[in-house]
Amino acid sequence: MDLSLVEKVLTFLKIPFQSFLTIEIFLIFIILYIFLVYNEKRNNKKVKIFLTALIIFFIFLLIFYFQEDISIVFSEIIKTLMRCFYFPNIIFYFLTVIITLIVLIYTIFKPNITRLNKIITYAITLTDLFLFTNFISLAISNNTSLTNTANIYQHDEMFILVLVSQIIFLILIIYKSIYHFCYIKHQKLKNTQ
Amino acid sequence: MQRKNRNIKSQLFKVGFFFLIIGILIFFSSPLKKLRNEVFEEMRLAIFKLDINEDNTTINNINTENLEIITENNEVKEENDKKANYSYIGELSIPSIRLQRGFVSKESKYNNVNYNITIANEADYPDVPSGNFILMAHSGNAYISFFDKLYRLQIGDKASVSYNAVTYNYQLTKIYNQAKTGTVAIYRNPSVKTLTLITCTHNDDYNQTIYIFEEI
Repeated sequence: MDLSLVEKVLTFLKIPFQSFLTIEIFLIFIILYIFLVYNEKRNNKKVKIFLTALIIFFIFLLIFYFQEDISIVFSEIIKTLMRCFYFPNIIFYFLTVIITLIVLIYTIFKPNITRLNKIITYAITLTDLFLFTNFISLAISNNTSLTNTANIYQHDEMFILVLVSQIIFLILIIYKSIYHFCYIKHQKLKNTQ
Repeated sequence: MQRKNRNIKSQLFKVGFFFLIIGILIFFSSPLKKLRNEVFEEMRLAIFKLDINEDNTTINNINTENLEIITENNEVKEENDKKANYSYIGELSIPSIRLQRGFVSKESKYNNVNYNITIANEADYPDVPSGNFILMAHSGNAYISFFDKLYRLQIGDKASVSYNAVTYNYQLTKIYNQAKTGTVAIYRNPSVKTLTLITCTHNDDYNQTIYIFEEI
């Protein structure tokens, strides 16, 4: 941990040559890379499928070998996502509010956005910001310290506010992603026509 | 004609994809419910620990503040307790199987195996000298299977119970099975304070396992 920059780089470079197994793994990945690059010229579909299957096989082999640890990792990932959704800490909640604010400002000043899209975005973002201001006013009236997450969620009203706010934020993200996906697809279709 | 075929194929693909997503959601609903339950449990425990700290502050204040204020506080606390039946009174922790769960009072309607780890009616609370604190819960794959990993316990494993801002430490001394008859016989040393955990035997529909911990 307390290595200098040169030592860090040297350690990193030594890692693939530590043992026979690491050299073998290193060579396999180099060969995979060469195959993929070479196949870009030939564009052989069978090679593409074979290489993808090989990579997936390697990953599954690792998952099978470390089955229990991987299942813990997956459940921890899902639990982290759930924590972010149900009980976000104040940093994460502020971050979602800042993103909402950026989306709102971007929508206000972006000229070539359809009117319907603007109306929907205004409704979602303003609702989210309204809930955030409610959250802050509740925190002030309850005299709640926002640094401790448990402190926030012992009040049912604050829990509900944050939950609804998170749902609205999720709707905003899904709506924007779908809109941009459809917009890009539409533009591509237009260009090909 | 070709375009029509392509449209049908594309629609079939969309319907298939939709059903696939629904199938995946149904398949993973139970493990997801279990994880959600764990996340909520973490927060309940965090709030419970916060309450303990607040209670400790009140206990420290008893010596310095006048009694009338304390009586008023107690009345308010009792009223709050009536409102919030789900508030935990303690916590069971077994580090070797990563189990950490709160329990409610015997009188609470949530002292039920379908909601929580349950305190048996015959149990003594952990602060009773030479008492037996008996906890029960489901095992298996359901999201309410709070004792699903108990079968991994081995003699000598440690457990702790936090109750009334005091932590009681125990060590596993005995594991035995009994047939599921609706009652259970507990064999323990009556001169030692014990913690008894009861759940269904792992992969066995007809037996229940009893884990006896003694205070250390």
